[in-house]
Amino acid sequence: MREAHFWLLQLVTGLVLIVLLGLHMIVIHLETILGFLGLGAGGAVAYASVMERAASSPWTWFYIIFLALALYHGLYGLRTIILELTLSRTASTVVTVLLVIVGIAAFSFGTYVTWQAYAG
Amino acid sequence: MAEGRKRENYLGIKGWVRAGRYGLERYLYFLQRLTGFGLIIYLLIHLYETSFRLRGEVTWEGVMGLFDQPVFAVLEYVVMAAFIFHALNGLRLVIEELGFALGKPRRPVYPYETSLQRQRPFMWAIGVLIIVFLVVSLYDFLV
Repeated sequence: MREAHFWLLQLVTGLVLIVLLGLHMIVIHLETILGFLGLGAGGAVAYASVMERAASSPWTWFYIIFLALALYHGLYGLRTIILELTLSRTASTVVTVLLVIVGIAAFSFGTYVTWQAYAG
Repeated sequence: MAEGRKRENYLGIKGWVRAGRYGLERYLYFLQRLTGFGLIIYLLIHLYETSFRLRGEVTWEGVMGLFDQPVFAVLEYVVMAAFIFHALNGLRLVIEELGFALGKPRRPVYPYETSLQRQRPFMWAIGVLIIVFLVVSLYDFLV
């Protein structure tokens, strides 16, 4: 893939994240608005509520995909900001490799936790 | 790259915050980066914080209890506000990047109108939308 493809992927993940993070924010925070719509859940961060979502397959898929897209979008954006300093080629590669490692580590950790909560 | 000599007009880290004599869009661009940076750092912290759900109800409620203080309620709203700005301004950037909402090409007849000026109404529309969302979510946080 060329840089232009990564950039296009940045735009696409950005658009998808508006929907996914929008849903996440509404479910977790906007109880009052959910209430107006007659979906009043409330207490989305109570343990029972959290584990109920953790035990459901759709939510598990939602969180894993959401995490992958958010990490790609966020870390690619961070890389853009850092590479704007026009570092040497070696330094740019080091930055890229480090961010890929951070991304893979964070994704593995998040997926492990999600899977444990789902299966356990 | 630097090869030991000074690069002309090279701003380095200063270039991240210095908008110079550019217009409002340049400041939105700076805010887009600032909110983006904040959100990715928050995501990594959030990933760790939410992993406590594996340690059982007592630990989880203990961690959540920490966040009951007013200072965290304010910080949560800051994250929400950063998301609202980043999402809607980002939507504007994607739409403009793909060539929409730029107006039709026209002859350069005096008084000249720059492409930036033609994008302004769209920017203001997004701006109003951002403010509406900020107010609605603030209402929800306060109630």
